[in-house]
Amino acid sequence: MQRDDTMTKNVRNLLLAVLALLPGAALAGPSGEALAFTCAGCHGTDGSSVGPSMPSIAGMDPEVFVDAMKAYQADKRNATIMNRIARGYSDEQLKDMGWFFAKQRLHLTPQKHDAALAARGARLHEKHCEKCHENGGRPGDAGTLAGQWMPYLDHTMADFLSGKRDWPRKMKRKVDAAIAEEGKQAIPALIHYYGSQQ
Amino acid sequence: MSTMPRRIASMVLACLWAASLGLIITPSAQAETAEPQGELMIEHFDPATGQRIIPNERCLTCHGDEKEKTDVRDDGTQVNLFVHREQIEASVHGEQRCNSCHTTIRRVPHREAPEVIVGCVECHRDTWEKFQNDPEGKHKRLKVVNEQIDNFMDSVHAQPNKLDESRTNATCYDCHDAHNVGELGSIQRAEKRLKNPEVCGRCHEKQLAEYRTSDHGKAVLEKGDSKSAVCSDCHTTHAIAAPESDTAKRAITKNCGDCHEDAQRTYFASYHGQVHRLGYTNTAKCHDCHGGHEVKDKDDPTSSIHANNRLENCKNCHTDANENFLSFWPHGDADDMEAYPTLWWAKRFMQGLIYGVIAFFWVHVLLWLYRELVDRFQGKGFIENLDRPDIVYFRRFSVAWRWIHALFAISTMTLILTGTTLLFSHTGWAKAVVSFLGGPKMEGIIHRTAAIIWLAIFLTHLTIALTNIWRKRKTFQWFGGTSMLPNMKDLQDLRNMFRWFLGRGPRPEFCHWTYWQKFDYWAPFWGAAVIGSSGIVLFAPEATASILPGWVFNIATLIHAEEALLAAIFLNSVHFFNVHFRPERFPMSTTIFTGAIPIEEFKHDHRLEYERLVAAGDLEKHLIKRPSRRAELAASFITSVLIMAGLALLTLVLIGIATAPK
Repeated sequence: MQRDDTMTKNVRNLLLAVLALLPGAALAGPSGEALAFTCAGCHGTDGSSVGPSMPSIAGMDPEVFVDAMKAYQADKRNATIMNRIARGYSDEQLKDMGWFFAKQRLHLTPQKHDAALAARGARLHEKHCEKCHENGGRPGDAGTLAGQWMPYLDHTMADFLSGKRDWPRKMKRKVDAAIAEEGKQAIPALIHYYGSQQ
Repeated sequence: MSTMPRRIASMVLACLWAASLGLIITPSAQAETAEPQGELMIEHFDPATGQRIIPNERCLTCHGDEKEKTDVRDDGTQVNLFVHREQIEASVHGEQRCNSCHTTIRRVPHREAPEVIVGCVECHRDTWEKFQNDPEGKHKRLKVVNEQIDNFMDSVHAQPNKLDESRTNATCYDCHDAHNVGELGSIQRAEKRLKNPEVCGRCHEKQLAEYRTSDHGKAVLEKGDSKSAVCSDCHTTHAIAAPESDTAKRAITKNCGDCHEDAQRTYFASYHGQVHRLGYTNTAKCHDCHGGHEVKDKDDPTSSIHANNRLENCKNCHTDANENFLSFWPHGDADDMEAYPTLWWAKRFMQGLIYGVIAFFWVHVLLWLYRELVDRFQGKGFIENLDRPDIVYFRRFSVAWRWIHALFAISTMTLILTGTTLLFSHTGWAKAVVSFLGGPKMEGIIHRTAAIIWLAIFLTHLTIALTNIWRKRKTFQWFGGTSMLPNMKDLQDLRNMFRWFLGRGPRPEFCHWTYWQKFDYWAPFWGAAVIGSSGIVLFAPEATASILPGWVFNIATLIHAEEALLAAIFLNSVHFFNVHFRPERFPMSTTIFTGAIPIEEFKHDHRLEYERLVAAGDLEKHLIKRPSRRAELAASFITSVLIMAGLALLTLVLIGIATAPK
């Protein structure tokens, strides 16, 4: 009897120890880097996109990344496929992925642009956009515009202007003001300005 | 088997420990991976915590833009978003990050219209907690800040607003220009004084409008004179109480005196001021006459103290006030001969009387004490013969006189106690006594009741005495041995007493009444006239004013108090010594309560009367048996209580005089 008891206890102890370590094992899970591998197909290796309509996400603000993914999860942002993909991740995983991309250097591919148009865009940006998209639109709490793929920017602006994507606070007013100033050339000018940056 | 549960328990504990260790280790391991390696493209994240840092420069991009000081919210409302960069950088908070205070701001650009939610208290308390023992005195100013926080917390401003209980009436940054809090002596602080009325006026609009018309308001707002009174000078900065509260009334009256020292000194000398200084607010205070926010000079026709408006002021309390009230001097100054000669002379006369009487009798007391002590050491003087204890007594006071003296003593002491609380309203004991009695109204009732008893006794005595004289008018010897009237012999006795004091002659022999007893007897006549008449004047101001000018109250207040002081000091020192404390009598004489004096003592103190009675064969008529032991005990008890009470009063009066503010 005595020995049976000891045996049972030993087995139970072992089970308890495993149970105790389980949460640790579960939390350990795949790293942000491992999760981010699946993004490379579209967004390029480590988030520096090589395709013209896929935005680069390398070096981006980690909280902006999480905001974007959550907006996709909730169907609040016009998506082709990102809404489905985004739903595959937990909040914690999104945070890890955000930090993985944040830590990457953004490798830019030179884009064809009209220098004169870009110069007008630079002026418009300084006047209407710089306060939020600081440093000429470099990565920050308002996303990444500088060096971003021009066709992607074009799609995005079209989404905003057509109402497919909700305007961030105050942005519509600013875009309206830029259009009022520069007419139809306002958006292309801005896009050429961002595309011109390396 | 009995060890089983313990072992299980220890294993369960071990497992729990392992589990919790797992929970602790796992996140920290993850935090490690989240730590950025190498330079980030994005700025402003704390690499240690992964938390976003928002530099002030980022905030000032929008909030420091001179060209766009306002913005329009989505609902169309305009908001002022401009912050002076130079001001905030020069302020005491210049090194703080914007979102150290604006803690709800986590993202720039703001994802939602931000609310200004700032809590000042916690940070100031925590920082002081941390630095209060700092050897270099870093943040030492926070001591004052924290005291003011406590004051604020108890103030009406920290109370929930009546229209919206979710808010306080006011909070730190409603008054403190949050981005422009300067250090002591800085420009910001100098500007702050001049801005104070406008700051308070943001909520207290009516009061600001009134203040603008006042002398204070004109000086501050029109002439930029920062020395004139601003709101906080009267209302205090943080300990602001509701204006209808006693706390506020007391604080405001006190604060007026910080600048108007003379006005306050003279106010405190008046009945209004005496009651107020005891801590009560039912008498007129500065703002009751001068107005609160619209204080103006008396020459201004719109001023509440202008000659044409003053009576209305008086009528607020004295509903029956008539024109004579106008000649009252609310700030009458007995030390200002030019402005108030009558009052000045009244005070000089009364003080001359007090100093004269007290000085003369204290010298009399000290010399007498010296003489009796010297005699005693030499085995001379009146010494009780223990082999022949007194069994025969002389009947000195009838029952009526004994009762009269007892009531007189009690009512006089009551009058002294209640009256001097006003005269010495600056003392702690006066405040305690009035509070114990139930406030100045009750104190007034007690004082006046005692005064009526006192006067009634006085008049009763007068009636009895005059009736007696009338009955004996045929044989009454006006200047005889039993008469109270002063005569030449009293003067001679006085001279001879001094000679005896100085060892230059024998102790004089006295008739039925000695000169000091006659003085004690006649002093209340003068006292009754002075204190009684001035007391009646003060008792019934409206009735008095119907026949007498207002400045009579100033004179009455003065002489009532001075004469009372004289009586209080004289009775409780000189009278006590003459009757009880001189070595021949020490510790007390109970004759006034037993009515009987040992025949030997009578013989010693009133030898001429004794001899006269023996010669006339009348002595036997006055001799009585020794009072019973119980009567002696009772008389000793009453005398002791009265002496103790008298000495206590004397002490209180002397404390009051010694601590009187100049």
